[in-house]
Amino acid sequence: MGYQGKVVLISGSSRGLGYIIAEHFLEHGARVIGLSRSEHKFESPHYHHVIVDIGNPQSIVAAFKTIAKNFSTIDIVVNNAAVLTSQYSLIMPIKNAVDMVNVNLLGTFFVSRESAKLMRKSGHGRIINIGSMAASLEPMGDSIYAATKVAIQTLANVMAKEFASMNITCNTIGITAFDTDMLRSHTQKAQEKINEIIKNLPMPRKALAADILNVIDFFASEKSSYITSQTIYLGGIN
Amino acid sequence: MKSSKEFIVETIVKTLNDLVDTLPDDQKFEPHLNTILFGTGSTIDSLTLVSFIVDLESLLSEEYSQSISLTDDRAMTREKSPFSSINDLAEYIEEIIDPALVKKM
Repeated sequence: MGYQGKVVLISGSSRGLGYIIAEHFLEHGARVIGLSRSEHKFESPHYHHVIVDIGNPQSIVAAFKTIAKNFSTIDIVVNNAAVLTSQYSLIMPIKNAVDMVNVNLLGTFFVSRESAKLMRKSGHGRIINIGSMAASLEPMGDSIYAATKVAIQTLANVMAKEFASMNITCNTIGITAFDTDMLRSHTQKAQEKINEIIKNLPMPRKALAADILNVIDFFASEKSSYITSQTIYLGGIN
Repeated sequence: MKSSKEFIVETIVKTLNDLVDTLPDDQKFEPHLNTILFGTGSTIDSLTLVSFIVDLESLLSEEYSQSISLTDDRAMTREKSPFSSINDLAEYIEEIIDPALVKKM
């Protein structure tokens, strides 16, 4: 598969899964716009980095003004940026709860919205949200995180209707646990909890990058123009 | 001064014409001051209206060097919708532009 000539925007591209997704698109010929709060490590001339706080709508709108000056359109968007604090609701710190809503939900909304404004000019686009198994499994400690991941599925489904006439599809991939900085930053106890969840999945293993990229490629494909408002979970979750 | 109503009407009509060009032949129309943009008798559907607002906000924000929102609380709570007609919309835009922020051309 090739992404020559395509412009792909990825939020949270400087590390973890976002970095892997950006590398994947670069390797296959795309020009990649990466959004994150921190600097990046890419050396490709086809990588364009924009520093932005995904939890701040004004920062996102300002970033897209810069992007619009350099790119006439965006073909594919991967909403990957997310933060996670796993904690029982009764003792969840206020700031962490608010950050999850701002980054995971509102960040996804504003990145999708601003991207769609550019996509509609070309009458084509793919918006792909990185969801989570937490949305379906609803594990203890993930009340806000799981709620934000359900919310971005709903977001994609509503936007799929609103953007259908512009040939913009909106879909979600619900990933299982994947070895990222986010996962490794969990406490020992939280990691044990995740391992217990993984053990009980129909496919009892963590996701591999290839598992995730396979579904992203499927949603991003030009052949998938009739696939919208869908969520695909990995690992046998539904 | 570019904030004159005449110039705003020109900008609205140009923005609308750009969208009309993309419509199927049987939905094309000629915009005029009394063209209804929203509500009973509207000449465009809701999604076309959304596209029109996005384009117009972007053009006006650039033209007048200020962030212009046509769908904030101020617009939505008016007794008469600014989108009742092109004339009403032009008057509303003229009202919300801050002359102090307009860059002299």
